[in-house]
Amino acid sequence: MFQNRAEALALALPAALFAAAVFLVPVVILLSDGFRSPVGGWTISAYTDFFSNTLNQTVFLRTLKLGALVTVVSAVIGYAAAFAIVNLEPGAKGRMTGLVVLPLMISPVARTYAWIVILGRTGIVNQAFQALGLTEAPLRILFSETAIFIGLLQLFLPLMIISLISALENMPKDAIPAARVLGANWFQVFWKVVLPLTKEGLVIGGTLVFTGCLTAYITPAILGGSKVLMLETLLYQQVSVSNNFVSASVIAFILIVMSFAANILLKRVATARNKMRSQP
Amino acid sequence: MSDASYLSLEKLTLAYGDTVAVADLDLDIRKGELIALLGPSGCGKTTTMRAIAGLLPVKSGQVRLDGADMTRVPANKRAVGLVFQSYALFPHLSVYENVAFGLKLKGMRGAELDTKVQAGLKSVGLSSFANRKPAELSGGQQQRVALARSMVMEPKVLLLDEPLSNLDARLRLEMRTELQRVQKETGVTMIFVTHDQAEALALADRIVVMKGGAIEQIGTPEDIYNRPVSSFVADFVGFENIFPLEGGKLRTSGGLIELSGEAPSAAGLAWRPRMVTLGTGPFRGTVRGTSFAGDSREYLLDTSLGAIKAEVEAALPAHALGADLLFDLPAGKAALLSKFS
Amino acid sequence: MNARSLFIPVTLFLVIAFLIGPFLIIVAASFSAGETLAFPPQGFSLRWIAKVFTVESFQASFAMSLFLAIGGTAAALVLGIPASYALSRYKLPGAEIVRTVVSAPIIVPGIIVGLALLRYIVVPFQVGITLALFVAHTALVLPYAVRVVSASLDNLRSDIEEAAVLLGSSRLGAFFRVVMPNIRGGIMSAFILGFVTSFNQVPVSLFLSGPGVRTLPVDMIAYMEIVFDPSVAALSSLLAFLSIGIVFAAERFLGFSRYV
Repeated sequence: MFQNRAEALALALPAALFAAAVFLVPVVILLSDGFRSPVGGWTISAYTDFFSNTLNQTVFLRTLKLGALVTVVSAVIGYAAAFAIVNLEPGAKGRMTGLVVLPLMISPVARTYAWIVILGRTGIVNQAFQALGLTEAPLRILFSETAIFIGLLQLFLPLMIISLISALENMPKDAIPAARVLGANWFQVFWKVVLPLTKEGLVIGGTLVFTGCLTAYITPAILGGSKVLMLETLLYQQVSVSNNFVSASVIAFILIVMSFAANILLKRVATARNKMRSQP
Repeated sequence: MSDASYLSLEKLTLAYGDTVAVADLDLDIRKGELIALLGPSGCGKTTTMRAIAGLLPVKSGQVRLDGADMTRVPANKRAVGLVFQSYALFPHLSVYENVAFGLKLKGMRGAELDTKVQAGLKSVGLSSFANRKPAELSGGQQQRVALARSMVMEPKVLLLDEPLSNLDARLRLEMRTELQRVQKETGVTMIFVTHDQAEALALADRIVVMKGGAIEQIGTPEDIYNRPVSSFVADFVGFENIFPLEGGKLRTSGGLIELSGEAPSAAGLAWRPRMVTLGTGPFRGTVRGTSFAGDSREYLLDTSLGAIKAEVEAALPAHALGADLLFDLPAGKAALLSKFS
Repeated sequence: MNARSLFIPVTLFLVIAFLIGPFLIIVAASFSAGETLAFPPQGFSLRWIAKVFTVESFQASFAMSLFLAIGGTAAALVLGIPASYALSRYKLPGAEIVRTVVSAPIIVPGIIVGLALLRYIVVPFQVGITLALFVAHTALVLPYAVRVVSASLDNLRSDIEEAAVLLGSSRLGAFFRVVMPNIRGGIMSAFILGFVTSFNQVPVSLFLSGPGVRTLPVDMIAYMEIVFDPSVAALSSLLAFLSIGIVFAAERFLGFSRYV
């Protein structure tokens, strides 16, 4: 560890000042707009106005609901997938992990776009349903919460699987056989052994998925259309359609609070885990 | 400059931020000496070494080397070599390039450089490893590369940080011999830092025992081993029965105890386990533990003086757990401590 | 085969199908001969792939995205490498503040960053859209640059710098002689991660577009709203193969995943 403070500051300040100038300061001003009263002084009336509007309530609750739903479903699928992957031979494990990570490298525009082909009026799902005689007329799947849910799940599932893979790999090798020998059935093994031992991975994955859902723009924009809005798309509409910057500031603040809360939780868990590790 | 102070530290004070790690340290080292800085972690030995190397700024006091004041001379202009505990080889460079690194910075090129590097590699027996990367070498080989890398620079002082602690028992003996040979052949002044008294005793001309950022005792291995000046040093070099002395009597957990024989004047007395007489004497103890160590047998006794550790030849008949024994702490054999802490 | 031995292959098949399937459909749709986007594709042709290269706005926005991804990432590294070095090697006063400030752009939703820049930098200071985009993408990539470079610095023992100094090198010389060569893999990985992040980024760029100045993903969304032909599918496939190729090569030659 070098001791020279001046040198340290000279190295670190350009990046810090840059981030502060182009990011921190403008964002803070933007957020403060929502608390500024048009007659001077400070007020939270913009927030009470925002939440008294039923459309806004719907959008807010929808965002929370979809975020929670995607997180829970991705955890369930994630455990199954991660468990299957860590039980593969090393070579196959690497290739499977690669396939799981692969979608993260593909543009979200392309990934979301694919669902139009699948879920659209003449898409594969509707073709299949009609061919099987399940429906007469094409179903309207696109521009719905279901479509957004599917899109978000596909977008963020890899993050959950990867977090759970590393959590399962860090689990003591003999924990599961030990529990089995002691007479636990598979449900008890999961509930009493696997879940507590992989809790950190689950929280990390869950936070990534949840904040991902909050801040995703493309998926709700393309799969939800202009009717089924989430907070991000509502924010965009408020600015580009209604020119309502106060409302945009309120939404921004809500998004940032939720995103920060999730990240603080993540950091808590991460430091708790490091402490555990550093003990001899 | 006198011969006795080739490297001298004068009133050296070192600190990390506001935490003083070494205070007012004075030390003179002769040219060609092999010095051990011995002490537990946190005693300031590594800090002192880093200050000699110039890696840590000096808060106050002086570092003088070969007649010149080095206190403000930057580390890269000091001609001091350092073999790091982790060896700190450059992972992207071959063994040859590692050894050549400093010489090239000096501007050495071509045949002269090659001759020097080859000689350096040869001296540590690694000529055939010149093209390997550090990661392809064993720990012992990496350390010899680090040694060669420092030695080709012909440093005035070579510092070694815990040079034997990362090696297994066999390599440790090999490296000990190697260091003594290098020192003898080149006459370089060497200072090594260690927490292992056996290492210091085996290798050093003189040992500097440090405690809490200050020097506790300086002396030859014999001095330190036989005549520790303080309870701290005594404890560090294996005296296990240590008591303060008050008015000619031992202060023990069982009160003041009169010694057999005439009491010397000192702040405290210390006995190694094998200095304890077992079987006769004015004191009585119960065997609480016993362990066999090949040539000898150790006993842990519960006594009115507190716990006493005694060691006798294994050929003598063994005492069972719970046996009552007479014993003595002969005043004439004890090390006299002038400082008790 | 019993139920348990079926569990692993069936789970994996379903999950991978869900994750990769849509992408394969897009690839198949881009070879369609039909006029509209559909699956199964109507016939086989390369016409939509060919068309991608003739759409002028795609050419311009591709060039813009490429410039932002390369320039923004390079700028983020120029700022981020010294900052990472200070964070990992120095006792830096306010280290936690610096770390939080440089990594904040990752936490705050991109759309807010874009809006804030538009309102309080671009409009009041009359900054050009291109410059604003460049600055925004640099800020966006900075957290990744600092994180990846810090990770590779933390994996490198700091005593090799001291060793270099004791062998006669200056501090700066030691950085270039022994630190840089050993974190080159980390820097390249940071570059690739930054490139992919910047190139695929939409929300930050959403508000930052002007006449003729748009990033490629934003342009693709705009195009989709007007024309529903397979050319966006073709472009998506091309871009996907490009990023997969880059990442695959990076993994092959650098061990990319060690750093990310």
